[in-house]
Amino acid sequence: MEVIAALLRVSIREAIQYRASFVAEIVVGALSAAGIAAPLFLVYARVPHVAGWTLDEALLVTGFFLLYNGFVSGLVEPNLGAIVDGVRTGALDYLLVRPVDVQWTISFRKIAPSAIWDVLAGVAVIGGALWRLGPPAPLASVVAFGMLTAGIVATYGLWLLVVCTSFWFVRVDNLRFLLGAVTDAGRWPVSVYGRGVRIALTTVIPVALVSSYPAMALLERLDGSLAFGAVATAVVSLVGSRAVLLFALRRYSSASS
Amino acid sequence: MIRDTTGPEARLIRVTGLSKTYRVPVTKPGLRGSIASFFAREVREVHAVRDLSFRIEPGERVGFLGPNGAGKTTTLKMLSGLLYPSGGEVRVGGFVPQERDPAFLQLVTLVMGQKQQLLWDLPARETFELNRAMYGVDRKEFTETLDELIALLRAEPLLEKPVRNLSLGERMKCELIAALVHRPMILFLDEPTIGLDVEMQVQVRQFIAEHNRRTGATVLLTSHYMQDIAALTPRLLIIDEGQLRYDGALDELTRTVAPERRIVVHQVLPELAALGFAVTEGRMVATVPASEVNALLQRVFAVAPLVELGVEVPPLDEVIGRVFRGASPTETP
Repeated sequence: MEVIAALLRVSIREAIQYRASFVAEIVVGALSAAGIAAPLFLVYARVPHVAGWTLDEALLVTGFFLLYNGFVSGLVEPNLGAIVDGVRTGALDYLLVRPVDVQWTISFRKIAPSAIWDVLAGVAVIGGALWRLGPPAPLASVVAFGMLTAGIVATYGLWLLVVCTSFWFVRVDNLRFLLGAVTDAGRWPVSVYGRGVRIALTTVIPVALVSSYPAMALLERLDGSLAFGAVATAVVSLVGSRAVLLFALRRYSSASS
Repeated sequence: MIRDTTGPEARLIRVTGLSKTYRVPVTKPGLRGSIASFFAREVREVHAVRDLSFRIEPGERVGFLGPNGAGKTTTLKMLSGLLYPSGGEVRVGGFVPQERDPAFLQLVTLVMGQKQQLLWDLPARETFELNRAMYGVDRKEFTETLDELIALLRAEPLLEKPVRNLSLGERMKCELIAALVHRPMILFLDEPTIGLDVEMQVQVRQFIAEHNRRTGATVLLTSHYMQDIAALTPRLLIIDEGQLRYDGALDELTRTVAPERRIVVHQVLPELAALGFAVTEGRMVATVPASEVNALLQRVFAVAPLVELGVEVPPLDEVIGRVFRGASPTETP
């Protein structure tokens, strides 16, 4: 924990070193958070239900997606993106000679402070939706939190897997952008999609676990088998991606000095 | 398995039959070549290190020399656990480096003159603090080590400036501090003086020698500056095309590869021509085997008792150059 705290402290100091850049990043973060929530209002201005979800229920999905987006833009993108560059330029050298777990240092080395807007917006949207829907049962809240955690772990594993491919193919930026675009589908309730897409969004690219499942849990619409499946997906994703990372490090060739 | 990380074994390096082969994509020249490579990628195997064997004793300072692309950096990276060897066996401080055992990583440090670990936008002190956390160094011990390193390198004024505002030499001082805050027992230094001015090179050399004397840490150093080697490393490993060409004492290398001495008389005396001297740039120079120097000097003083002269050993870079060009020194196992 001390290492992660030290890494994050340094990362925040680095981020605020350039004031203009920091302010611009914060503004962009706020606009991005607003951009995620806005389309929902446009759709529900015309129809009362979408695939059985009312506006307030769908807002829960959006709120959880904002939390996920904050996690991705605040931690996943800056860190795992840096791995791709590190593989190409050899900048991973100094990280790999530290006596701390490689996965921790490469995953928590940087933080993008602008992501705080996504997190704040997510909390506000979920809070607002629950205020109108009524407070959830305590157990439902616990399950929702568990689903959010499982979803974050599962998607983190997927991101790590994608990034690990850079040890073989070196430049995989487009693959990252593609993953970012596909996971965007998580901002809508998963039941609006056809069966094939639904399965893909809960297993292959498990972004539904992080947005729809916690919302379904709060609404008491998530059955036990789905919850169990989400946890299993998270475990497989985390264990699998770690194994791939450790295997990929064997291929690390650094860069000539 | 519990290993002793403080005794002599912790500073020992053993390398047996080490090799590293890279698979490098070959791109043919021109647009057509690039398109052809896109569809049918050709891969070439580059043998960066081949069947390398040596042993470095605890506390030794060893110079690792070779032309560009000889395999020096690749070897250092394998010894520090960054790269997986393609073959052979390595033990550093009793550990297999590529397993990256945390206890092993506590034991070693790597300094690369052409790369930096310092956080670019923040003062160097932040990097030291980060390394303290990563290596789990006790606060009191950290402060003591840091004070000692700062004093040795006279680095006090540098610590609060953002790294980007430091000169190259100042940055290297801070790189060395960052690399040593955890008190490693084995130092891998890859061209630590590259690009530094003469004064700064001297300071870094003095620091490395002093650190080795105080801590007994083993030092393996690569450099293109022969002054580094002459001042710091009594033993040399010379590598070329991934293979070991020489392993032995610096003095021994000079004696076997360049056994001749130059006797330089700082004036032109025609009578010395008969003794084998030739006129070069207003001086007279004769080159003779080391064993014949005394005899020749006696004959010179017999002809010109008050002459001013000097006896020169061939410069180290010339000696090393001869090894690269194929002169065969006597290897000492």
